[in-house]
Amino acid sequence: MTTTTERPTAAPESTGGTPMVDRAEGWRRRAPLLPALVFTIIVTQIPFILTLYYSLQSWNLVRPGSQEFVWFANYGDVFADSQFRTVALNTVIMTLGSVLIAVVLGLLLALLLNRQFAGRGVVRTLLITPFLITPVAAALLWKTVLLDPTLGLINFVLTPFGGSGTEWISNYPLASVMAALIWQWTPFMMLLLLAGLQSMPTDQLEAARVDGASAWSTFRELTLPHLRRFIELGVVLGTIYLVNIFDQVYMMTQGGPGVASANLPFYIYQRAFLGFDIGQSAAMGVVVVILTLIAANFALRLIFKSFSGEQEAA
Amino acid sequence: MAEVVFDQASRIYTPGAKPAVDSLDLTVADGDLVVLVGPSGSGKSTALRMLAGLEPIDAGSVRIDGRDVVDVPSKDRDIAMVFQNYALYPSKTVAENMAFPLKMRGMPKEERAQRVRQAAEMLGLSEYLDRKPKALSGGQRQRVAMGRAIVREPQVFLMDEPLSNLDAKMRVQTRAQIAEMQNRLEVSTVYVTHDQVEAMTMGDKVAVLADGKLQQYATPPELYDRPINAFVAGFIGSPAMNLLELPRSSSGVTLGGIEIPLPRDVSDAAGSRDRLTVGVRPEDWVLESTGSDAGSVVKAVVDVVEELGSESYLYAHLAEDTSTSIVVRGPGRVQVRFGDPIAVRPNPDALHVFDTETGQRLP
Repeated sequence: MTTTTERPTAAPESTGGTPMVDRAEGWRRRAPLLPALVFTIIVTQIPFILTLYYSLQSWNLVRPGSQEFVWFANYGDVFADSQFRTVALNTVIMTLGSVLIAVVLGLLLALLLNRQFAGRGVVRTLLITPFLITPVAAALLWKTVLLDPTLGLINFVLTPFGGSGTEWISNYPLASVMAALIWQWTPFMMLLLLAGLQSMPTDQLEAARVDGASAWSTFRELTLPHLRRFIELGVVLGTIYLVNIFDQVYMMTQGGPGVASANLPFYIYQRAFLGFDIGQSAAMGVVVVILTLIAANFALRLIFKSFSGEQEAA
Repeated sequence: MAEVVFDQASRIYTPGAKPAVDSLDLTVADGDLVVLVGPSGSGKSTALRMLAGLEPIDAGSVRIDGRDVVDVPSKDRDIAMVFQNYALYPSKTVAENMAFPLKMRGMPKEERAQRVRQAAEMLGLSEYLDRKPKALSGGQRQRVAMGRAIVREPQVFLMDEPLSNLDAKMRVQTRAQIAEMQNRLEVSTVYVTHDQVEAMTMGDKVAVLADGKLQQYATPPELYDRPINAFVAGFIGSPAMNLLELPRSSSGVTLGGIEIPLPRDVSDAAGSRDRLTVGVRPEDWVLESTGSDAGSVVKAVVDVVEELGSESYLYAHLAEDTSTSIVVRGPGRVQVRFGDPIAVRPNPDALHVFDTETGQRLP
């Protein structure tokens, strides 16, 4: 009863139609959300603040008592570290290279699956399976079953062409890791693009046929523009996942030889848990977070733009 | 500028099933606008798509300008099509949409721009050339779709219910524009619609289809005055013709207690049939005063009155046989209301008589 009598008195204060709520009432309404908020802060923000704090310390775990406050010296070291720069470049190549190749392959497979043929359901299921395999298992599969110099299937297949004995993982470490990543992520791109292809209005394709467009012109002039936002979404999502990939690097090459196939997450892991240099690895972590925030901001803006602005015209 | 001939053309989706288009015979004379009309599932759109090359022709043939096009792909048939949902390319501007068929034919850029400009001027689209389709109204999109067909200067236009997505006012306006433009361009046109008003107002000739079969192919007045069977009679005209199944009497048929004499040739053709289907258009009833002699008028009770301003339609049921309903056209202002009695008499010169069994016109 009290609430119903209070509401009319509160209403005249409001301008937009919703009654103005005093502060206490506002907190009372938000209270049920607080546990979730507190939990989120504890598990994400406190570690981040601690990381910021550690990044200002010189602290190596193998030298007890070495912890001291050094301001931004760690950051200076990070940028002076040529290995860090190599690894940063590796990360860009590994992430963007894998994503772009996976998109292209995914597009080709999606175009194939968008046609009618016998056994399409089986083929589609088979093509999706790489995405369903645990990354560690997939990495092991690539390392031993496929790429092993003596027992690997790839060298076995290449033997008749005189290509046996290649040490794939030692000679082409980055490319090997990327191959495994591409193999795993192509199905994701394929599914996304297949959904895009199937949402293409058939009357546009028929109009193109009557208008005299060849298959290639139809693809380039109509299908590709239609798929643009699906491709963008695939690139952004794939990048977000692959930029902090760890399993394949750890399982296949341990980042080596040297840092030839290491990416930033793996390198930070190495510095923190194999080198025990908490201060430097924390500083690297902060740098990566900042760079990722910038890149993610651009990427997300792109997604929102293409999905809100470019609405389907009838 | 070409003659289009459907010669026993059939489309069979699943072998053994009833064909979607069954042995269609139709000739579209050079420069004519022919309307294919029929209810949903009558095969009218399928027939058009067969002509467009979007559906295979399973039997018979289709000829454009004397050339058999059964195995000719759409792009080589020299046709242009306007789709029901316009099928504009959303990523292209109006100008690019209209130029697309020309570009695909390898026409030089300047000539393309020239043609698009001309067509845009004709359709009142000049100021929208740089817009994307999504920034246009329904009517403008429809005109862009028309423009894309016109720039081609094809031998045949195909239109698949091009007005069905427009509001009523826009539809009437565009209907006239299309008919006028078609007259000016003198390009043979096949136009599909389910709306018999569009068919009657636009077509040089109208083909009425039902269940994949051609029912009647004639000019609009002929279709209206001499429908070949009860289906065409009921389909053409709005409100629909009253089709009454009546028992024979000595000199004609009996309706609501009165005797309606039939012309001599009709009763000869009717032979010994003891029931006939008699069609009376709403405007072929004569309203009489309710006090008239019971033997000369049919008494009915009004259910609904539709006043359209210039005329009115009275929906009524017979006083003697309440299961029989009739529609009567009256003057613009009528004094009758729901439940009022009326007295009507069919105009004996405007009766359509059909065989009740087969639906065929007699004679």
